[in-house]
Amino acid sequence: MTLNIYYVTAIAVGYAGLLFLVAWYARRRSEQGRSLVNNPYVYSLSIAVYCTSWTFYGSVGKAATSGIDFLMIYLGPSLVAFSWFYILRRIIRISKENNVSSIADFISLRYGNSQLLGSLVTLIAVLGIMPYIALQIKAVVTSFALISGVTHRTITLPGADAAVSFPTSFSLALILSIFGVIFGARRLPSAERHEGLIAAVAFESVIKLISLISVGVFVTWVMFDGFGDILTRFNHQFPELFNRLFTLHPTEGQGFIPSSTMLFLSMGAIILLPRQFHVMVIENADLRHISKAMWLFPTYLFLINLFIMPIALAGILQHGGNAGADYFVISLPLAAGSSAMALLAFLGGLSAAAGMVMVESVAISTMLLNNLFMPIIVRITPKQWFPILLINLKRLAIFFVVFLGYFYYQAVGDSFMLVNMGLISFLAALQFLPALLGGLYWPRGNKIGAISGMALGFLVWCYTLLIPSFHAATPDSTIMLHGLFGQALLKPTALFGLTGMDMWSHSLFWSMLFNVGAYLICSLMLTQSDIEKEQVRRFIGKFETERRQVKSAAKRLSKPVTPPQFVALMGKFIGPDEAIQAMNDYLKGRMIDSETSVPEFELPAMKRFVERTLAGSVGAAAAGAIMDSYLSDMGSRMESVYDIFSTVRASLDQSREALYVRLKASEVINRTLDLQTIMDELLQLLLKEFRLDVALIQIRSSSDMPLTVQSYQGCDRRPISPEHWFQESDPYVKMAMIDQTTHFVNDIKNLQEIITLPKTEAERFVSFAHIPIYREGEESLGVLSVYSKSIIGLFTEEFINLLTSLTGQLAQAARLASEMQAKERERREKEQALLANARVKRDMEIAEQIQLSLLPDKPPVLFGVELAGRCYPAAHVGGDYYDYFKRDDHTIDLLIADVSGHSVGAALIMAEVRTLLRAQSSRAVSPSSILGALNSQLYDDLTRAELFITMFYARYSAATGRLSYANAGHNKPLIHRQGQQSCIELDADGLILGIKPSIVFEECSITLQAGDTLLFYTDGIPEATDQAGELMGTGQVCQHLAQQSTLTVDEIADSFFELVKEFSQSTTLQDDVSMVVMKIVS
Amino acid sequence: MWRSHLQRFLKRLHLRESWVIFFVLGNVMLNFPFLKIFNQPTTILGFPLMYLYFTLGWAISIGVIYLFASSAEPDQTEYHSEEQAPR
Repeated sequence: MTLNIYYVTAIAVGYAGLLFLVAWYARRRSEQGRSLVNNPYVYSLSIAVYCTSWTFYGSVGKAATSGIDFLMIYLGPSLVAFSWFYILRRIIRISKENNVSSIADFISLRYGNSQLLGSLVTLIAVLGIMPYIALQIKAVVTSFALISGVTHRTITLPGADAAVSFPTSFSLALILSIFGVIFGARRLPSAERHEGLIAAVAFESVIKLISLISVGVFVTWVMFDGFGDILTRFNHQFPELFNRLFTLHPTEGQGFIPSSTMLFLSMGAIILLPRQFHVMVIENADLRHISKAMWLFPTYLFLINLFIMPIALAGILQHGGNAGADYFVISLPLAAGSSAMALLAFLGGLSAAAGMVMVESVAISTMLLNNLFMPIIVRITPKQWFPILLINLKRLAIFFVVFLGYFYYQAVGDSFMLVNMGLISFLAALQFLPALLGGLYWPRGNKIGAISGMALGFLVWCYTLLIPSFHAATPDSTIMLHGLFGQALLKPTALFGLTGMDMWSHSLFWSMLFNVGAYLICSLMLTQSDIEKEQVRRFIGKFETERRQVKSAAKRLSKPVTPPQFVALMGKFIGPDEAIQAMNDYLKGRMIDSETSVPEFELPAMKRFVERTLAGSVGAAAAGAIMDSYLSDMGSRMESVYDIFSTVRASLDQSREALYVRLKASEVINRTLDLQTIMDELLQLLLKEFRLDVALIQIRSSSDMPLTVQSYQGCDRRPISPEHWFQESDPYVKMAMIDQTTHFVNDIKNLQEIITLPKTEAERFVSFAHIPIYREGEESLGVLSVYSKSIIGLFTEEFINLLTSLTGQLAQAARLASEMQAKERERREKEQALLANARVKRDMEIAEQIQLSLLPDKPPVLFGVELAGRCYPAAHVGGDYYDYFKRDDHTIDLLIADVSGHSVGAALIMAEVRTLLRAQSSRAVSPSSILGALNSQLYDDLTRAELFITMFYARYSAATGRLSYANAGHNKPLIHRQGQQSCIELDADGLILGIKPSIVFEECSITLQAGDTLLFYTDGIPEATDQAGELMGTGQVCQHLAQQSTLTVDEIADSFFELVKEFSQSTTLQDDVSMVVMKIVS
Repeated sequence: MWRSHLQRFLKRLHLRESWVIFFVLGNVMLNFPFLKIFNQPTTILGFPLMYLYFTLGWAISIGVIYLFASSAEPDQTEYHSEEQAPR
């Protein structure tokens, strides 16, 4: 029985609609952030795209013809699942880090972004997958024909004339292509996950599983009486076939493929087929899904294969043989009259085919676009319409892939069983295996090895499998019978005389031999390029985080590029809005201003980011090419950083050399405290270790002083003048001083235009750096400048860090040195002051001695008079003075004076007074005239010195007992007369000396009696203060004089000194204390 | 009690080598000459020996993968295993 063609078509269209709905819903959910496919179950179901119509129809056919070995195709992937936890995880992680978009991308990335390798992988994939797509078309067309009863290759609609008839297979190819475009090429970025596609594929996986199990259950329990029943009946009816189908027969020869070949092929295919790589790696949402998929996917395979054998056996029982066994799944329900079951089977087969073609065409079109078209396109200057061109190229590629399969089907179609067609593709995909596994685990595997191995393997595959497959319909063609050029050794199915193997094992053996052999030999004999070495680290070494990779980047951009320029470039490939968005996301975490230039060390990282973003759309190889051509248009390029530290420093943060220099530097700094030596030696160390040409240090002594060159080492040591070439860099130096960051120019040709350095350039310096010398949190002390004539790009981040740490140490040393200097200066000043003080003190002591010697050492002897004089200066020298002059045997002059102040000046004036008085005393003039003369003589000197003198001058004649006296403002002397309590004050009018140029002094006289005690004193006695600030006062002086009057004059004088000291309760005198005590004894 | 034993067993299972061992073991069991043992036209309870070998062996291997995957802690640095020991 058959079904109406319209009915079948309507169901198929309805089913397609359902698929779109699923895809649409999944996409909407993902846009809402509640992804439908982001779970291990959908992931496992999407991997089940492995089960195509090959599984659905072909397995039954295989089971019915060669028996149980069909299971090998599923046991292989199931076995490989053990390795997923390590191999697959690693592949996915590398892919995600590098925005890999296909297996071609992945392999070419490992081998240094080789475009050639990418193209080769693509070519193999496109040609290799051709039979596989043909298989799907064949399966669907045949099943459609079976179910609708149309046996021709064209469909003529019932009731219409022949003009509207059209070929089924062609329309199917068209429909499948459109499916592919809609699901897989809506947007450009191909490294992005296609949630709609995956949802549809997972849905289809469910449908095909349900469908096959339903058919299996239907056949086993509805048509027959359980599996046991089928087996018993089969064993009974075909005992020989029963044994053959349930055993393996490795030596059967042509047409039968050994189980081990199938096992090996399927083990490779599960990851190497472009669509498998796509769903497992590119569409993987989360690494954690793998561990569930590891057993979910084999379970799926197990379930879908559970009823293959019963269906196959039932089919043979039903049809009496294995003719048309590929389509037992449909023909059995049809024969049983169950159209619903047949339709379900048809939908399952359609699902299986459509899912495969959709994913495969998307995966391969991406490869085509990125690895074949892109290398050509990138040679054209990027234009604004590029995104449109690219997406349409991708769509075109999908059509191309599907129709290539269609043409293969047209050419080969009916001569192969489904499974055998599929195995041709498996073998093609297997050619990727050596390069992929070697790339992941063998550090020495190189590009040439990968290319040559893969190319040789591919050629062998073409020659031993693809070409024979075209000739399968005509096995007696010359090439098949006699080999190329009639050489029997070149017979495609018995290459080099190897016979007795089936076509597939034969091809497998030779292609793998050549592939692995070439890969190993070339890898061992040739070396890797630098880019490759870097990729090897990424693929094989420990997974490093992005930042650490950047840190060890050994490249720099010779001319800086700004973020807007990068955005403009990206915009041409992924659209301007996406480009801006991507750049903003990137810059967000990096503190880079999006408008201005980027710090040099950030540039390689940013370039890598742009490349990665581009790789998401155009593939890694093309992205690299785009970047290179763009940079060269800019006049920039990636160039190797001069490796200042000659050893490789891949993972170490610091090289041995850097450590050595640090060590040496700290040695220099600690050896001496002399800053000059430190600076000189440090600079010499830098020159010696780093091939610099000039190094100089400028330091300022304080923040308001200009910088001066403290040390200059290296070539060109002409006198340092404002015209010296290094002075040109002053703006850099000032900037470094102010912002305390290193300012460097790695290539003098890239100077910003604001600052030009013609002289420096003329001296042929190419790079330089200015590093501020400062301590954390303090002002800059100066700047270390280093210049190189030979090396562009000398200043790497690492080198700058080293220099900065050296200047830090230098600042510390400078600070230490200046602190030491300051301390030394202070100590010396103190010493000086102490010395000066001592000298002054000594001088003063001498002055004291002299002054004391100016006073009379003992009073003159005069009959009837006792005299005692005392002078206690408060300081070393004082202004107090007393003296006696003996005129004749009966007459004595005595005086007491007080020069204001206790200074040396006062002492000098006192000395002058003494000189003048000595000169006067010989003349017999009266005391008042002596004072008058003295005043006029001293007036000028006193005025000049701003001093004045009080003086009391008296003359006593022992003969008459008369005391005549004159007073120049001095304290009035006291007379204590025996028997009286009060004292007589000797008063006379007169101004202080030095007030007026000419003064007239009153002269008074008094007659003294025997027993009178006279006290001449200076203000030090009555004006002595006690602790409460009370003055002693004249009254107390008089009282004391009265009490002590019986003592000798010396004792009286001493007792007054004691009195003052006692009164003031202090060991030091506040004022000079002087007195003369005179006693009339007869 | 048995649970802790199981956990300890699972921990031992999760060695980097274990998947290699299983993988190699699987390859050996799916190739000649090992297959020759089961490559007999005999039946057990009406089921061909080879068919039973493949089907049961496959089911067991899936069970082993399940145990292996459940025991496998994803890289310590990355994720916390969401799988727990089988209940």
